[in-house]
Amino acid sequence: IKMAGDFSFPDADTDGSEKSEEMEIVVNVGGVRQVFYGDNLNQYPETRLAELLNCLSGGYDSIFSLCDDYDPGKREFYFDRDPDAFKCIIEVYYFGEIHMKKGICPICFKNEMEFWKVDLKFLDDCCKTHLSEKKEELEEIARRVQLILDDLGVDASESRWKRCQKCIWKFLEKPESSYPARVIAVLSFLFILISSVVMCVGTIPDLQVVDAEGNRMEHPTLDSIETACIGWFTMEYVLRLISSPNKFHFALSFMNIVDVLAILPFYVSLTLTHLGAKLMELSNVQQAVQALRIMRIARIFKLARHSSGLQTLTYALKRSFKELGLLLMYLAVGIFVFSALGYTMEQSHPETLFKSIPQSFWWAIITMTTVGYGDIYPKTTLGKLNAAISFLCGVIAIALPIHPIINNFVRYYNKQRVLETAAKHELELMELNSAEGKAAGSKSELEDLSREGKEGPFYSSRLKVSHSDTFIHLLSEEKHYRTRLQSCK
Amino acid sequence: MPLGMNKHGSRSTTSLPPDPTEIVRSKACSRRVKLNVGGLAHEVLWRTLDRLPRTRLGKLRDCNTHDSLMEICDDYNLEENEYFFDRHPGAFTSILNFYRTGKLHMMEEMCALSFSQELDYWGVDEIYLESCCQARYHQKKEQMNEELKREAETLREREGEEFDNTCCAEKRKKLWDLLEKPNSSVAAKILAIISIMFIVLSTIALSLNTLPELQGMDEFGQTTDNPQLAHVEAVCIAWFTMEYLLRFLSSPKKWKFFKGPLNAIDLLAILPYYVTIFLTESNKSVLQFQNVRRVVQIFRIMRILRILKLARHSTGLQSLGFTLRRSYNELGLLILFLAMGIMIFSSLVFFAEKDEDDTKFKSIPASFWWATITMTTVGYGDIYPKTLLGKIVGGLCCIAGVLVIALPIPIIVNNFSEFYKEQKRQEKAIKRREALERAKRNGSIVSMNMKDAFARSIELMDIVVEKNGESIAKKDKVQDNHLSPSKWKWTKRTLSETSSSKSFETKEQGSPEKARSSSSPQHLNVQQLEDMYNKMAKTQSQPNLNTKESSQPGKQKEELEMESLPGPMVPLLTTRTDGIVDMRSMSSIDSFISCAAEFPDSGRFSHSPLTTLPCKGGINVIQEQSRPEGSGARYVETNPSSEGSHRSAFFIESPKSSIKASNPLKLRSLKVNFMEEDSSTLVPASNILRIYPDSLKSRGAAAATDTSLLSDRSLMSPETSIYTTASARTPPKSPESQAAMAFNFHDAGIHRYIDADTDDEGQLMYDSSPPGNVSPKYNVTNSGYLKQKDHVYRTEKNHLEAAALPTSPKLIGQNCIYSMEGITGRTQGNQETVRLENHISPEVHVLPGSGGHANTHDQSI
Repeated sequence: IKMAGDFSFPDADTDGSEKSEEMEIVVNVGGVRQVFYGDNLNQYPETRLAELLNCLSGGYDSIFSLCDDYDPGKREFYFDRDPDAFKCIIEVYYFGEIHMKKGICPICFKNEMEFWKVDLKFLDDCCKTHLSEKKEELEEIARRVQLILDDLGVDASESRWKRCQKCIWKFLEKPESSYPARVIAVLSFLFILISSVVMCVGTIPDLQVVDAEGNRMEHPTLDSIETACIGWFTMEYVLRLISSPNKFHFALSFMNIVDVLAILPFYVSLTLTHLGAKLMELSNVQQAVQALRIMRIARIFKLARHSSGLQTLTYALKRSFKELGLLLMYLAVGIFVFSALGYTMEQSHPETLFKSIPQSFWWAIITMTTVGYGDIYPKTTLGKLNAAISFLCGVIAIALPIHPIINNFVRYYNKQRVLETAAKHELELMELNSAEGKAAGSKSELEDLSREGKEGPFYSSRLKVSHSDTFIHLLSEEKHYRTRLQSCK
Repeated sequence: MPLGMNKHGSRSTTSLPPDPTEIVRSKACSRRVKLNVGGLAHEVLWRTLDRLPRTRLGKLRDCNTHDSLMEICDDYNLEENEYFFDRHPGAFTSILNFYRTGKLHMMEEMCALSFSQELDYWGVDEIYLESCCQARYHQKKEQMNEELKREAETLREREGEEFDNTCCAEKRKKLWDLLEKPNSSVAAKILAIISIMFIVLSTIALSLNTLPELQGMDEFGQTTDNPQLAHVEAVCIAWFTMEYLLRFLSSPKKWKFFKGPLNAIDLLAILPYYVTIFLTESNKSVLQFQNVRRVVQIFRIMRILRILKLARHSTGLQSLGFTLRRSYNELGLLILFLAMGIMIFSSLVFFAEKDEDDTKFKSIPASFWWATITMTTVGYGDIYPKTLLGKIVGGLCCIAGVLVIALPIPIIVNNFSEFYKEQKRQEKAIKRREALERAKRNGSIVSMNMKDAFARSIELMDIVVEKNGESIAKKDKVQDNHLSPSKWKWTKRTLSETSSSKSFETKEQGSPEKARSSSSPQHLNVQQLEDMYNKMAKTQSQPNLNTKESSQPGKQKEELEMESLPGPMVPLLTTRTDGIVDMRSMSSIDSFISCAAEFPDSGRFSHSPLTTLPCKGGINVIQEQSRPEGSGARYVETNPSSEGSHRSAFFIESPKSSIKASNPLKLRSLKVNFMEEDSSTLVPASNILRIYPDSLKSRGAAAATDTSLLSDRSLMSPETSIYTTASARTPPKSPESQAAMAFNFHDAGIHRYIDADTDDEGQLMYDSSPPGNVSPKYNVTNSGYLKQKDHVYRTEKNHLEAAALPTSPKLIGQNCIYSMEGITGRTQGNQETVRLENHISPEVHVLPGSGGHANTHDQSI
């Protein structure tokens, strides 16, 4: 039977450390032993290891404030940290820059760097992009979590009016929050569809009626449907505006501008037809009304509110402004070149369709986008050759810049779903942590650790404050089924 | 590994396990502990491990006995304060960092499935995974799940193609293969080619028929079919009809066949012809003829559906169909984009062009056509804008159209390529599987990645189990008739990877179901068998983990060692040929599923609170009560005068002795009583103790007991079944058959292991649930045992006996009481040794051809 736990160490070790004195320290990080030389460490005096070197004379208290364990016999400092990340981080003492080992989660690595008090700037650029990508993702998740938490938050201290406002806001803006809200969303969607259809059908000559002056007017039933739809839209908008927590922000957001544009023409034309006759000529009024009718198209954009795919599209387009500009530029250059070429080459033909360069712009667009109506087409051989080349160039000019746009779109489209689940997961995690924090049990130490600043991506500190202070009750009452999770821990 | 470790590692043969005091002392000596995981040494503070006390590493600290330590780790060395775990080192780094930082991240190159297994092993819930890694993790897992689901479906399809219950199954199967599987034979291939040619021919004939030069005129001045082409059409239709009917007749499941999309297309391709004939023949009168003609025209159009019949012969077409079905979301998006674009541009162009003379943009709906043709860049040129404003709108419309169509298509393309790749991969996999099977038949050894197979098995079986629950009863009947253990399909319950509460349900419903995988490896060699033993050895340690955990460290610690039950002897089959005949050769993967089955169970055990048997202070009372009742029931209690509060009690339970008495019947009854007690008493701790009297009684009454009734609810503790496997021995005739038999027992053991487990859960969980909730399968299993017990005596051998006591093996077979007494007497003396042997026992294996008596300790494992 063996005796375990022999504490005596060979003398050789102590001898060795005595020889090197302060010049050399032995660091044991999670089982991996490493020897450092003082001058090496002192290159970066703000780092943890350099501090360790400097506090050797400061007694045990200062040593233990920096490391987890100290073996006086071996003069070995023990840190309970990830050895893999440590191996990467110590490169800073030798090479002045850090490269992340492949496979380590960037966020995790960042935390390790913070623990060793190595500045993030030492991380090489090639690895930084990876980190920033992950950070962005986390930010997005945090934003979503915040949104969800905001929705959940019902503060009893608020006045009745405030609560009512919030209720309406949720009702109109969050179709997934409740069943009636979903019904409202579907209804709103239907109204948009109906009004769009009415707008289109109203222009069919067979369905129009001729009024006393011989002008074509819209069918009265269609008109009344239109009025009803506008009434609905107006009501929706007003309620949204009233209930919005931030009126200014609300009025300026893209979707709400679209809403205004969808309802405004109706009222403007209404006032014009009733009051405008007194102010200006009737024909002018009618022209103005006609112009305003075009703005009705804006209501189609209202659909975007109800389709995540459309939102992704706008997001992707917004993100790829550069590529869109590139696309337009390529096309513009192509149009100029080929319309000019086409014009000059067709000059020889007596019955040419290319009457001027601006006129042949149209031909160039239609050819380059491979639409080819056939209203203008080249007749000479050279002109036909030019047309073939312009068509090929058009295909290339469109295909090349479109790829990044597509990429953007696909990425956001896929990310949308991932983020959705991630946000939910984050909530669960927070709830789990908060529940444990409340229990003040095993994890309290861990929480302390995170409060020391070793932990946590930047966002989590914000969230942690919020969830631990105000949202605990909400989260805990929300999910009873989570208790099982705690049982496994 | 340090030298001391090796020395200690070999203690199975030489030394006694260390005293708990030593363990405690060694732990108290250092603030740190060395963890050696798969060869990679880590050093960590005890304090860090205490942060998650309910995980495997958290429990390590509280373990103060050799056995409890061995349940948690695979090896340890007290001098070095080092604990060895035989697990993947890469994943452990991430998990250890979770203890250190409270953040669970996942190595990027790590496979999600293997990581989830590691999480299960270490007792960490995947919910703790940080958001940055969680997305990747779940994505991969979902992907894997989907793949497995598809695989399960193909598996199910294969299963569906059984022709065992109706007449002329053999012929029908041949016909089915001929028609449905063009790769199965040359004739089938030729048939497929002929079929394709008929499809092409009929389509060409259909098109030619509309050529005005080839059409004839009937008496009403209407065009009719060319007579030659009509003949071709008739021949083609005849061929299609014949094909369809033959397929239908030979199909194993008629309704499923009828519902299949490809067969529906076939039906649609032939029906119009007959409907046309029917209509024209039945309505000869001129009056109705015009109406009929219109209908006939419609049906004529439907003939074009036969071109879809080509889908049967092309993987690409099938992938296309599947892709469209799967990406309807993206298709909807595409259509929405287009619709919005059309709406916007047509109204814009309408307002721009409406004042032009003789404009074609008369209304918004009229300009829809223009917008569609422009956005899709077709550009017929029948309508085009003429004003400058209209032309600008037209130009924008072109560019927007290109963009809008291009955007959602890559997502659909992605879906398509993924599916297509998968399809190709599967085709290859099937071929490889066949090659493997061939190789196995030839006797060559096939090595395969266990882990991989396991990962697949998890969900695969989950799905299979869910889906064909209805067929159990039938299969059971079949098994009953055959009475061959090789037919027993052990239950595969999955550790649902989320380890969520649903896992209980799936297990419950899954338990009466069998995966058919058990039947596969007829020709397993001994080496593979040993592998299985190894696997089992690992799992065996699991259940007691919770036993330890539940007992409060501050309290008096009494542990009921379920493990000290040695396995009952498995009655061996004498009908060797039966077993082999009944075995169905399955894919190699399945065989490994069976081998790897222990993993999920082990993982689950560590989570399940039901397996915990908290033995608190009340136990002693029950012990006292039970002692006088059961004279044969012995248990040994050692109270090593423990330092501090740690006190351990070891029980050597009497069932061990009765088990050694190698009467399967008794074992059954013993177990039954155990379970009855279990169900009736709600205090789990008392269950085990009450076994003793019952076991004694049942031993006496064993012969008289209605065996079938008893076996109905017979249950075994997991450990016993594992020992069963370990000690299963066959009288060797030919090495091949022996291996097969051994494996069968392995299966049976697992089978019952799982059953017992499930029932345990069921009864503990729902206290009210009657003991009768056991699946009817038990009946089968046990009756199989009972009927064979006559042939069995000679083959029964308990390696444990051989190892622990030198009693003559002959006695064991006949005189149960004697041997039992002897054993209990001995075990009292050296319980430590016995317990030690229990741990080693899986390593003990029988060499083929050694006469069935030699037990060898195989240290090489």
